[in-house]
Amino acid sequence: MKPESSRSVISAKGLTRVYKLGDSEVIGISQVDLEIAAGELVVLKGNSGSGKSTLLSLLAGLDRPTRGDLTVANHDLNDTSDADLTHFRRQVVGMIFQSFNLLPTLNVLENICLPALLAGKSVAESRPKAMALLEWLGLDARLNHLPAQLSGGEMQRTAIARALINDPAIILADEPTGNLDSRNGQIVIDLLAELNRKWDRTVFIATHSTLADDRASVKIGLKDGMLTSLP
Amino acid sequence: MKKFLFFSRLFIWFSLRDMRKHMGRAATVLFGIALGAAVFTSVRLSVNASLDSFTKSMDLIAGRADHVLTRPGGYVPEYLIARLLDHPMIRNASPVLTTYTRVSQDGSEPFLLIGFDPILDRPLRNWRINDKSGQSPVVWLDLLKEPFTLILGEPLARQLNRAPGDSLYLEHAHQKTRFKILGMLERSGLSLAEGGRIALTDIATFQEFTGLFGKVDRIDLQLKPLATARDRADIQRLLPESIQLNPPTAKRESGQMMIRAYQLNLSILSFASLFVGMFLVYSLVALNAASRRHELAILRATGASAYHVFFIFLAEGAFLGITGWLVAIPLGNFLIKYLLHGVSQTISTLFVRVQVDTLSLSVSEIAFGFAVTVGISILAAYQPAREAMQVAPKEALEISQLGMRPRKSPGQLAIWGLICILLVLPLSRLPAVLDMPLPGYLAILLLFVGFSLLAPWALQRISHSSSAVLLKRAGIPAYLASRYVRDSGTRTAVSVGALITAVALFTALVIMIYSFRQTVTYWTYETIKGDLFLTSKMGEINRFRYPIPQQVIDDLQDYRSEIDILPNRRFFLNYGKFPYEFELMDMQGFMQYASFFWLKGNPKAIRPMLKRGEGVIVSEVFSNRTGLTVGDVFKAQIEESYLELPIIGIVRDYRTQGGVVFYSMPHFNAQYHQTYWGGLRFFFKDRSQDLDLAVAKLRNDIIDRMGDKVDMYSGKGLRGAVLKIFDETFAVTTVLLLIALVIAALGIATTLTVLVLERSRQLNTLFAVGASFRQIRSMIFWEAGFMVVIGELAGVVCGFVLSCLLVFVINRQSFGWTFLYGVNWGALGASIPLIILTALAAALPAVKMVFRKPPATLLRER
Repeated sequence: MKPESSRSVISAKGLTRVYKLGDSEVIGISQVDLEIAAGELVVLKGNSGSGKSTLLSLLAGLDRPTRGDLTVANHDLNDTSDADLTHFRRQVVGMIFQSFNLLPTLNVLENICLPALLAGKSVAESRPKAMALLEWLGLDARLNHLPAQLSGGEMQRTAIARALINDPAIILADEPTGNLDSRNGQIVIDLLAELNRKWDRTVFIATHSTLADDRASVKIGLKDGMLTSLP
Repeated sequence: MKKFLFFSRLFIWFSLRDMRKHMGRAATVLFGIALGAAVFTSVRLSVNASLDSFTKSMDLIAGRADHVLTRPGGYVPEYLIARLLDHPMIRNASPVLTTYTRVSQDGSEPFLLIGFDPILDRPLRNWRINDKSGQSPVVWLDLLKEPFTLILGEPLARQLNRAPGDSLYLEHAHQKTRFKILGMLERSGLSLAEGGRIALTDIATFQEFTGLFGKVDRIDLQLKPLATARDRADIQRLLPESIQLNPPTAKRESGQMMIRAYQLNLSILSFASLFVGMFLVYSLVALNAASRRHELAILRATGASAYHVFFIFLAEGAFLGITGWLVAIPLGNFLIKYLLHGVSQTISTLFVRVQVDTLSLSVSEIAFGFAVTVGISILAAYQPAREAMQVAPKEALEISQLGMRPRKSPGQLAIWGLICILLVLPLSRLPAVLDMPLPGYLAILLLFVGFSLLAPWALQRISHSSSAVLLKRAGIPAYLASRYVRDSGTRTAVSVGALITAVALFTALVIMIYSFRQTVTYWTYETIKGDLFLTSKMGEINRFRYPIPQQVIDDLQDYRSEIDILPNRRFFLNYGKFPYEFELMDMQGFMQYASFFWLKGNPKAIRPMLKRGEGVIVSEVFSNRTGLTVGDVFKAQIEESYLELPIIGIVRDYRTQGGVVFYSMPHFNAQYHQTYWGGLRFFFKDRSQDLDLAVAKLRNDIIDRMGDKVDMYSGKGLRGAVLKIFDETFAVTTVLLLIALVIAALGIATTLTVLVLERSRQLNTLFAVGASFRQIRSMIFWEAGFMVVIGELAGVVCGFVLSCLLVFVINRQSFGWTFLYGVNWGALGASIPLIILTALAAALPAVKMVFRKPPATLLRER
């Protein structure tokens, strides 16, 4: 995977993803052209089934495009080996999910340290960063708790900390407020906005809620897998 | 009915459709349970076929007799018939003689020849001439008129390719004689005994053929219906003291007792396959209950009661049991072809001669197999069903799925496990119930349950204490695997429990068979010593009841300068219902070359006493079965003598047809009565020569001088034959054991696949946060490694305890013997890594399943 020399942090041209379901084909996204500069807070809006998650998983290196070009943080994701994609997910992007997806057998601190450990760092190396994140997120009293012992808001904050442990350039959030009440949802959006503003991270939020609308520097719409203009 | 229909529909919609969706998983479990059910049912049907054949033969030969006169170890004088028929309360009396004989040609199989008085016998036994082939229905009267004539059972005539009017030469202990076939028996009544391999002849012909003039084996009696105990006492007074009047069932019962002990042990061993299969059912139903928790909540939220949910999962267990049992029918059909032969051969060799001609498909036995299979499947589904019924409807509204929370802490389970294990020792010391080692088997069950309950705690402790080290030494995949195994609770523990059971069985049986074989080998080489053994013709099959011809004995005197000749005589007797052999031998000569395998008593003190005829030594089996031990008095009626001799020692002996009592032959002859030589063993005086060559030369020399009047076996050949029989006997056991291991491997494969599928969302999260494919695969192998190594270690420990139970409790209570405990470290050392590798290979399907669906889809799925 060769780094591209460009000011865009995300660049997509004719990006298409088609899923095969038996004999039939389902279009996830089709002919998406996208240019996102570094430091933006992007809000991707669309209804269920519009293709938000498909686009997000392509950007996160969880999936590969069927057609088109995709470059993220100077990494060409079109023709990439598994090993390079793994490295990309570890170091370049941080992912936040609607259902939090914390590992139930690991406590808060362990869940946060996990990507660092997977990247080959030791617990001792990753612990100070994790502690700092916990303090910033107000979870320092919960570090030894298991996910089952946390509230939804706390789980999502843990997931944010996990996404940040390897200092990624881009944070990708898939419906991060979908399972939270409005107060906790607002807290999460505030945190993501703070990440974008103070820590200069590119944040890409896929959502159909309006909570992040007034924080967005870029708004994109998706309908039936194709980009649409937003008011 | 309406409720049943509703439930059936619910079951089809909710469970069967889901099973169809995961066909591979359900098919693996079904195959496992079907294999267990097939093994269990075919083993029982095979042993039952032998048991039925034996019982049928005994009953058909006993006929309508309600009493039988015998002389223990000897013959009944024929003259008693007339005296008995004069008694007013005796309705019928018939003398009977039986022996095995064979057609004088190479490779001919022996068959049963019955000598009787056709006229006296007709009211007691059903036998008819087959008149369809044009023979007179009263051709049997010619048996009386024409000497050396026979009537053959139809299957025997067919096998010998003979018809009425043909002749054949039969050989026996002392002679070969030409017989003429008068007719064939109709296939009913007596002709069904021994699978139809019987022949009838007149008693006078029989006596002339065998040399038993004036003697009969027994006299069968039918008393008048009004006969009382006083009448029976009156009849007994007519008889010499040595003649016993007993019900005809004694011989049948002692044979049945031996077959049943074998049946019970084989049934329990075959049940192990079903028991391991039970873990498979548990795994699958537990997975369904856990992975469909959200669906269950929705089901509850839409109106299903907790009991609906409970019964759906119980019905899943029942469905797996019933379908497994149905699949077992063709599997069992295939298995039984091999088992029937192996089992009947083993029973014939070890206990009593059986001729299995048909497989009786008893409804009760099939129903029993069905009930056991379905019963254990429902039992396996019970706990997951209980967990499923506790899913609250409100969970339907929750998105986060953190899996089932463990209901019982591993510590609590471990305490129960420890209690079970602690109960093993006191239970194993309880005596057998109804002649069956039921407390011993209960102890084994508790041992398995105890170790399985300890498994979650052991997994937790070991993975907890090793996780820090693993993180440092083996990296994050090993660390994550240890953490998962630590917190996975009973789910992982169930498959570990299955592995513990299979490995324990494997270890215990390897140790038991090795200990048994080593002990039998030692016994064989110590006790069955002798360079050449000689018996009368067909001596072994006829239980050495015919003397070695005097001319042979006289001729053998010419070899006295080269060889020591040690005579013996064996009487087959019963102590109550328990069969045993009373063996007379030349103790002086025997102890010069061989020795006993001492168990109790001081051999240095006992040897001179035995040589002086001051007491008997008994086998361990005899002692355990009769309760008689050193210091007690052995009492027995043997032919016309009544013995009362002190028991001065106990020895190990592994004859399978009961116990043994040894006494000095010269002292028996001097103090009681003269008895003939039933067998001889020769020892060359010059031990430095090539003994194999000397034995071959002596054997050829005897044949040249005396013809084939006797049977001879070289000592080396005889000892080899004993060990061959031993190995053949355990062939069935080994097959059953391998099947149990295959089912356990299926269990590991299913469980690991299930664990992967259940955690697919977690595994994909790992992928999303930066884990590579290799790291995730490596983590699954580490998980498998943890489970397999812990299961293997616990299984080996459990196996060692189990082997002690098998050697010192189950064998003692089932067969009366114990063995010297020995561990085959070589076999265990070689096979245990092999089991670990096989079990790890079982992780491969699980690894393949990890990324079956795109990660992005899974991360979005509820």
